[in-house]
Amino acid sequence: MLDGPLAETTEALQHSGNPGAGGTGAGVFHAMTREELMSQKGISRGISRRSLFTRSGALVAGAAVMGPWTHNRVYAASSDKPLKLGFTSDASGQYANSGASDRRGMLMAIAEFNAMGGVLGRQIETIHLDTETTPATGSRVAERLITRDECAFLIGAVSSGVANAVGQVAQKYGAIYLNTNSSSPSEAGKDCHRVKFVWDGNGTNFAKAAVRNAIDSFGKRWMLVTNDYVWGHNTSAATRKLVEAYGGEILDEVLVPQGTRDFSAVLLQVQQAGADVVAAAVGGDDQKAMRQQVAELGMGEKPAWINNQQDWPDVYGLPLDNLFGVFGTTWYWKLDLPGVTDFVRRYQEAYPETAMRVPGNVLYNGYMATRELLRCVEEAGTTNNIAVIKLLEGRKMSAADRMQHDDAVIDPVTHQVQQTIYLATANVGTQDPDDMFKILSHSSPDSVVDAEAAETCKLESYADTPTYEM
Amino acid sequence: MISLAQVAPQRARQRITPAMGCFALVMLSLPLWIVPVGLYDYLGVEIAIWMLYALGFNLLFGYAGLHSFGHGAYFGVGAYAFGLAQHHLGAGLWLGLASAMLAATLAGALVGLFVSHRRGIYFALLTIAFGQVFWFVSVKWHSVTGGEDGLQNIRRPAADFGIFTVELADNRSFYLFVLAILLLVIVLLWRIVHSPFGRVLQALRQNELRTRFVGYEVWRFKWAAFVLSALVAGLAGGLFAMAQQSAYPDVMGLHQSGLVVMMTLVGGGLVSFWGPVLGVAVYFLARDLLGALTETWLLWYGLMFVLLVIFKPEGLAGWLGALRRPGPRPRAAPRRAAE
Amino acid sequence: MASLLPHLLNGLTLGLLFALIALGFMLVVGVMEVINLAHGSLFALGAYFALWVIAPSLPGLQGLAQSYAGLSIWLRYLLALLLGPLFAGCVGVLLERLLRRTYGKAPLYGLLLTFGAALVIEEMIRILWGSAEQHLPLPTELTGAVLFSGVIYSKYKLFAAGFAMLAIAGLWFLLERTPYGAIIKAGAHDSEMVRALGIDLSRLRALVFGLGAALSGLAGVVMVPIWGLRPHVGIDVVIPAFLIIVLGGVGSFWGAVIASILVGLAIGLTGAYASEWSLMSMYLLLIAVVSLRARGLFGRKSVLEN
Repeated sequence: MLDGPLAETTEALQHSGNPGAGGTGAGVFHAMTREELMSQKGISRGISRRSLFTRSGALVAGAAVMGPWTHNRVYAASSDKPLKLGFTSDASGQYANSGASDRRGMLMAIAEFNAMGGVLGRQIETIHLDTETTPATGSRVAERLITRDECAFLIGAVSSGVANAVGQVAQKYGAIYLNTNSSSPSEAGKDCHRVKFVWDGNGTNFAKAAVRNAIDSFGKRWMLVTNDYVWGHNTSAATRKLVEAYGGEILDEVLVPQGTRDFSAVLLQVQQAGADVVAAAVGGDDQKAMRQQVAELGMGEKPAWINNQQDWPDVYGLPLDNLFGVFGTTWYWKLDLPGVTDFVRRYQEAYPETAMRVPGNVLYNGYMATRELLRCVEEAGTTNNIAVIKLLEGRKMSAADRMQHDDAVIDPVTHQVQQTIYLATANVGTQDPDDMFKILSHSSPDSVVDAEAAETCKLESYADTPTYEM
Repeated sequence: MISLAQVAPQRARQRITPAMGCFALVMLSLPLWIVPVGLYDYLGVEIAIWMLYALGFNLLFGYAGLHSFGHGAYFGVGAYAFGLAQHHLGAGLWLGLASAMLAATLAGALVGLFVSHRRGIYFALLTIAFGQVFWFVSVKWHSVTGGEDGLQNIRRPAADFGIFTVELADNRSFYLFVLAILLLVIVLLWRIVHSPFGRVLQALRQNELRTRFVGYEVWRFKWAAFVLSALVAGLAGGLFAMAQQSAYPDVMGLHQSGLVVMMTLVGGGLVSFWGPVLGVAVYFLARDLLGALTETWLLWYGLMFVLLVIFKPEGLAGWLGALRRPGPRPRAAPRRAAE
Repeated sequence: MASLLPHLLNGLTLGLLFALIALGFMLVVGVMEVINLAHGSLFALGAYFALWVIAPSLPGLQGLAQSYAGLSIWLRYLLALLLGPLFAGCVGVLLERLLRRTYGKAPLYGLLLTFGAALVIEEMIRILWGSAEQHLPLPTELTGAVLFSGVIYSKYKLFAAGFAMLAIAGLWFLLERTPYGAIIKAGAHDSEMVRALGIDLSRLRALVFGLGAALSGLAGVVMVPIWGLRPHVGIDVVIPAFLIIVLGGVGSFWGAVIASILVGLAIGLTGAYASEWSLMSMYLLLIAVVSLRARGLFGRKSVLEN
């Protein structure tokens, strides 16, 4: 609950009707009122210029004695300076498509807030620098976004290597960083940071959802196909642990170098091993090629395939028989839940030109993360990183708000969003080319929680995290 | 062919030249003007580190005439060594940098044994092959190096000089620390290139056969040049690991090894000691200034490089030198640039 | 052993395709004494142009593009097989023009120029086609797998191997049985004499460079369904090409072919046992060969040793 200057203005707002709703020039998001945007368990928050000015006076006085960031803090306190968000999603390389989706989701959320007058009265601007799916570039980009462009927050990740590099730099300065779409278990485990928040389900979550089910349905003899890089290894290791925990047996693990296009040798091994289930931790373009070849060989049915998480940009437009096996996702555009159709419509209005006619999990994660962050900033009444972090930690987000089946919560120990995990398979026999998934089941966050992450994650203390406020 | 600086005797005896003083002044003042021009301290750090790397590289490339296209390997080895020493040996600053230099020297010594008996194209392609081998190893051996995700959580230990300690966590103080090392190495490299050893290297470049006939064990000199440049690259790599606070395999790849070649040539490393310095500055300024305007900046940089190779291999330093000395040129090759 | 057969076949296919690359590389080295570090980017360029031929995007001419896309995939693919190398060849001729100023100077300049050109070409590809991976659409008859004696093998790879054999045979015919081939070989052997005989040396050089580039482009079109179509797919082309001509010797046609197959087999077999390291094996092989026997298996003293 907020107290102090904000409480009085909340009252004022609640009586002032719906500002900005349905107004002209509010763009395509006019259907959302400010209250809906800010709503959380039905309580609306708001801030007025009046309270901002009183508080900024105090800030100026305080800033004068603070140190090297003095100049910037004073400036930031004035509500004229735009709030800058730094986008660190990949625009080139293996994850370029997913990075683009990620950004669109973020931009959607930002446009909604800007239509309502921005955040804390400040318009939101974005700066995007291509991290090139390369950790070294990610490191440099983060330095630049923070030290030169003075971004208040950094958002965006697909490649876990880049997310890790950016996260490290962000922690150094204290800038909050939202890892929107990297699903490596280490992001919420040994690579966690006080300033970093992970919005995607990770390999362990998906494996937990899928493995037990698969052992019961298909059998105990498993084989692993692993992309030979860190994400692949982490994911397969998680799967292996789970299979063995549930009484299954790993017959063999085949390593597939990144950039493999010819899977005939791998598939031959799979065929010869005679496993019941194959768990594949193969990502990006390699996965596309693998899917194509498995489909060509007609190997999609037997053995059963478990593909961990499936990002929508990686499969959109593929022929349906390429989508064999069971895989996970955090959201789907045809979930029978309130708000989903409206969200899809808003996406289509915002991006009429794009080839991807319906949004997927990557865009969804980007949107949800950005929206929640901006809400927290409004609630906190400041961009001070510690204040916002404290609001994010343990934050509950309702199922209705998130268009999922279960309520979600940001785990205060690992900073990962614990959310519903869906298992799906190809929607064979559909007439709608966009309706590719058939949702098989959904698991509550508690049933798929990554217990190991909580043990390996050691968040830096608040004292060790520098104050950062732009 | 254009030849590198043949130093006038009085200049050779100077340990510290006016040019060095100028350079030191400009670089020392960088923290004051880098932000007002719209850039940032970390860029200064990157520039200083790559200047170090390129100057060491030019010992091999420009002075000895040995065209190594795989030098990123030693830069990368230095970075990883620093990180690994810190993680596994608990090394502080000095021990970490020493490990970086030692590891890169060993790598350079080993590779040097293979390549020093060759020259020209064989030499170049062998260095590419070795560079790629190092890259592969750093990517595949992820239990040690962290693979593509790199080695993370490298700290910047404070610089303990005995009587006082300097914290290096802040980019500005770290920049000054790197600059101090850079200036020191510049003085040392200057001494080296103007020593008898340096002269033999230049002789090697001009005509290896003749140098051998005169009685020098040519391959040993080549090997020494290779090792020295690997040593400097390793030092730069260790500093880079401190800057990024992580180490990645990217610098070992062909693309980035090629970058240092391009920077050195564009700046005029073939004709001037200071060429690499200019080249590094041009590259990074282009990257951040042009790169903010257009995504195609690397294309323009590449085109400029190609044009320079065709029309003016002396690069920027050569061009500036020609400007500084107007009037009829001597019959011999264009005169040298600023010392 | 049944399980080794697919790896051997892989190696053989790879070797035949490497032969195309290496022969193109060798022509340029032989006649022009230039090591073309852009050989790999020309490889990529051929493939990307083929992509454009099969699935063109013509801004402003949507109608034309659509009706073109309606044509049979076989027609478009064959057209791509023809035009991709042609385009690469033209770019090669252009590159040769730029190289002219470096003739007579130290080999460094040629190296640097082609290196810079490789970077420029790669960046252009990135700008025109983006850096995400693309797929070359193939006729369905070429995709899929065949099953024989317990081995699953990719149909496309069989096609690629067969096509490479045809191309090698064609090149051999050109070099050995036509007057053009004679001129090229003469040019490689003694360019001064060729000029003295009245043949336009600069035109010869341009054509040879173009031919070498076209061969690389052709190899690109055929190989990218196996290797993937990314802007930097050409990085792993130059070193095997160099390795092969060192092994087989500059100037020996069959030396190059045999060496290519050996290298391909080496990579294919390491793929059986340690697939993560298989590409690295060719770099190690280069180092081993150059250290031990710089003249290769069949070679004579060459320009490489300057």
